[in-house]
Amino acid sequence: MFKTKLIATVLAGALYAAGASAAWSPEKPVEFVVTSGAGGGTDIFTRTIQSIIVKNKLMNVPIVVVNKGGGAGSEGYIHGASEQDNPHRVTFGTNNEYLLPLVAKMGYAAEGFTPVAALALDEFLIWVNAKAPYADAKSFIDAAKKGDGLRMGGSQSKDTDQTLVSIISEATGAKFTYIPFKSGGEAAIQLAGAHIDANVNNPNENIGQFKANMVRPLCVFSTKRMAPGPKISKDMAWSDIPTCKESGIPVDNYQMPRTIWLPSGVAPEVLAFYTDVMHKVQETPEWKAYIERTSQTGTFLSGDELRKYITADTARAYGVFKREGWLAK
Amino acid sequence: MRTPSGTLVSRFTMELVTALVTGSIGAIVCYGSTEFGIGWGDAGPEPGYFPFYVGLIIVLASLFNLFMAFKHYRDRVEEFLTGEQAQRVIAFFGPMVLFVLVTSYLGIYVGMILYLVGAMVFQGGYRLPKAAAVGVITAIANYILFEVWFQVPLLKGPLEPLIGIH
Amino acid sequence: MDNFSNLMDGFAIAFSMFHLALMAAGVLLGILVGVLPGLGAPNGVSLLLPLTFTMDPVSAIILLTSMYWGALFGGSTTSILFNIPGEPSSVATTFDGYPMAQQGHATHALTLAFMSAGTGAMFGVVVITVLSGWVTEFALKFSSPEYFAVFLLTFASFIGMGSGSAFKAIVSMMLGFAFATVGMDGISGNMRLTFGFPDLVKGISFLVAVIGLFGIGELLQTMEEGLRFDGIHARVRIRDVLKAIASMPGHWLTLLRSAIIGAWMGITPGGPTAASFMSYGLAKRFSRRKEHFGKGEPAGVVAPETADHSAGTCAILPMLALGVPGSATAAVMMGGLMIWGLTPGPMLFIERPDFVWGTIASMYLGNVMAVVLVLATVPMFAAILRIPFSIIGPMIVVVCFIGAYSISGSRLDLWLAVPFGILGYTFKKLGYPIAPMVLAMVLGDKAEDALRQSMIMSKGSLGIFWTNSTLSATIMVLAMLLLFWPGVSLIIKRLRKPAVAATA
Repeated sequence: MFKTKLIATVLAGALYAAGASAAWSPEKPVEFVVTSGAGGGTDIFTRTIQSIIVKNKLMNVPIVVVNKGGGAGSEGYIHGASEQDNPHRVTFGTNNEYLLPLVAKMGYAAEGFTPVAALALDEFLIWVNAKAPYADAKSFIDAAKKGDGLRMGGSQSKDTDQTLVSIISEATGAKFTYIPFKSGGEAAIQLAGAHIDANVNNPNENIGQFKANMVRPLCVFSTKRMAPGPKISKDMAWSDIPTCKESGIPVDNYQMPRTIWLPSGVAPEVLAFYTDVMHKVQETPEWKAYIERTSQTGTFLSGDELRKYITADTARAYGVFKREGWLAK
Repeated sequence: MRTPSGTLVSRFTMELVTALVTGSIGAIVCYGSTEFGIGWGDAGPEPGYFPFYVGLIIVLASLFNLFMAFKHYRDRVEEFLTGEQAQRVIAFFGPMVLFVLVTSYLGIYVGMILYLVGAMVFQGGYRLPKAAAVGVITAIANYILFEVWFQVPLLKGPLEPLIGIH
Repeated sequence: MDNFSNLMDGFAIAFSMFHLALMAAGVLLGILVGVLPGLGAPNGVSLLLPLTFTMDPVSAIILLTSMYWGALFGGSTTSILFNIPGEPSSVATTFDGYPMAQQGHATHALTLAFMSAGTGAMFGVVVITVLSGWVTEFALKFSSPEYFAVFLLTFASFIGMGSGSAFKAIVSMMLGFAFATVGMDGISGNMRLTFGFPDLVKGISFLVAVIGLFGIGELLQTMEEGLRFDGIHARVRIRDVLKAIASMPGHWLTLLRSAIIGAWMGITPGGPTAASFMSYGLAKRFSRRKEHFGKGEPAGVVAPETADHSAGTCAILPMLALGVPGSATAAVMMGGLMIWGLTPGPMLFIERPDFVWGTIASMYLGNVMAVVLVLATVPMFAAILRIPFSIIGPMIVVVCFIGAYSISGSRLDLWLAVPFGILGYTFKKLGYPIAPMVLAMVLGDKAEDALRQSMIMSKGSLGIFWTNSTLSATIMVLAMLLLFWPGVSLIIKRLRKPAVAATA
């Protein structure tokens, strides 16, 4: 065990050295493909990285950002994988890269990409309307066990939100009717208007309503509480939100990685170049400010570590999709 | 001879063709929507419900249009296109399709230069140097506007890299 | 009055040489992207976004919103002169704007369009200023059943407008619905009607269809008639501009109605495109000159333009106050807000009044500036029309196809524009109306989503539209009234006659 790990390390080191000696750098403008529409979470993620790269001169060529958010992002992935040896096209997304092809014929294969890095993990919370009678996650789940259950809204269909709702149902026996909206922002407004009972939005999607005391978080799907900071609403800071596990929902962790991809046909030194750039990006103060502002968890996964994460994440989603009968025929 | 002299396509023919084309689109839509359920389930309409009935309505309405074509236009002398008109339309439409064809293989810049030069020389009667100048200037202006200024990449073919444009 | 003093503070912030220069630059760039089909306001705004990272947020939003105004104005120009809508929301402007231009009233049409647009925008800003608090609450009342009711109302206001065969109108509208369903189904996550073509996954772009149906279809027709734009006398005379401005008060009812429709559709995300269609439909329906619509009726230019700009302006409010963008461009700007470190939402008004009111104040200034600048571009566009057709014709073709390609960088879209062109040409000659198809393509999938979301809420019962809220029931009643208007007006006439007879 130890030995194989050592060999792997040495090999990786050697590869890295080889990559460094034959260092690759882009020869023409690099295209950043955003797999969401303008203004979406992935769009802000990409443009933040673009602004950091430009400001800190981390690349010596211009960057062209293109939005291809059609078909829940599949338009972008199809484009990103269409030229398998194109080293000047980087695709930005979430875990939908490997989850979308499971539920429908998307026109691209998850294997068409090689993962570069995951730079952030976005949290999921249970949110209810501020006037709702549920004091904590437990009373919310109890209410959802009665009768027809509760209305839960979310972004897109058979995507991260609906998957989480299914996981909660499975773990607790609560019943939810899931209503898919176009975006998390729409689900946020529907909750603020009390048209739905709850949503599982990311912090950034609900922060406006949270600040205005229109919606209230019950718990966060993470192993530990979120980073402490100033009060956001009149009486709560992010760190005051209990984890779902401590509130009695046996789901200890559910996060969405923000990921960066290259076509799988590119050379290892190309991969090494972009991995290095992204590593530098996440060390800048601007990046830390972005993480803090959007209440995400900063991370840096690449190489084998990232592959392992993807395999585990896929396996978990596969189980849910299979149970729900969502898998593409 | 029911059609007036010079008529290439009669209104009747065109009504028929159009109704058949829209009807076939409707049929394709119906067929495509059966891939997912077309019923009305617990959660309202299934994914194929709308496209299926939309397709069905297209088919039915097209059949009605077909019937109306027979009723109104079969014995009427009305042209859709005279030979002279057809010539003018084709003289415009043909080069346009060629332009799209060239564009899909050689990129939009090469396509637009050839198309503009061709149209100016053969249809406008301009001399080649002038036409070439207009074509090249248009291409450069578009390049600057789209790629440099607005950073919207346009379709490029195998020729652009030769002069160092990516 | 609180809002008024806030607004004055806002003017103090917005009114500086630097900001005025930014506005001018934004408006001019906006006109440019608005004029080119395929390059739209969202493109322009996302392009400028990186530039704003180093600016302070007020200057940044002024630049972006000014660009938006410019694009809205620019979109109308090509609609009127070439029958090519530069922006989706200016499609309805082509219906009467282009015929006016063909009859030699291009200057009149353009001036009318810009003046109505300016009026609509001003109305929108006033609504924002006065009603900002109340509007937020109103927007929160909308859920899927209410949205569906709104979409139904839009369709209802447009149905039964054509004078030709009803079955041809049905084919046209249903084709539009069918094209709108291609691609991912938002409710089930399935890929519909793509037949295995990866390029169809993103759906059939409404803009590609419009470029084909209107732009190329019109060129084919022009060629067939051998017209070569001779019909358009593009001479710009100041007298024409003044005459058009002087005729504005005569349209006060259309202006008011369209501005209200626009404000409503901008606040509730129906969007500027739906607003312009709906207001065109209603203007025609309530007009005494019904039969002149589509043949160059000035009110047919005033109505969609006013609503378009009123909606575009009002769309900024839900973005600031709720974090829901009322239009695609507003969505991009919202992304910008977040990158600048602001959180859109109700608290923005309290936390950063300087930003909010500075923005609102700049909307007054920006729109006035946009009207002036865009009027100044009229002679330039008119000059384009004097170029011989053997040059300008192919150039329009090139612009159309560049537009079709640049929408999503897809080769298939180039090829799709061709059959849409043939369709547009054939449909027009055979008396199939094109407007219902365009409308169905814009609103079809949104209406379907809203309906199916409602059905999930109600577990498959259609009664939800009547029982969900008084709001949805009211809109449904309005929609039904409009839908059956011909019948209803007949009944009213019948009822009136005996009454008159009885009194006599």
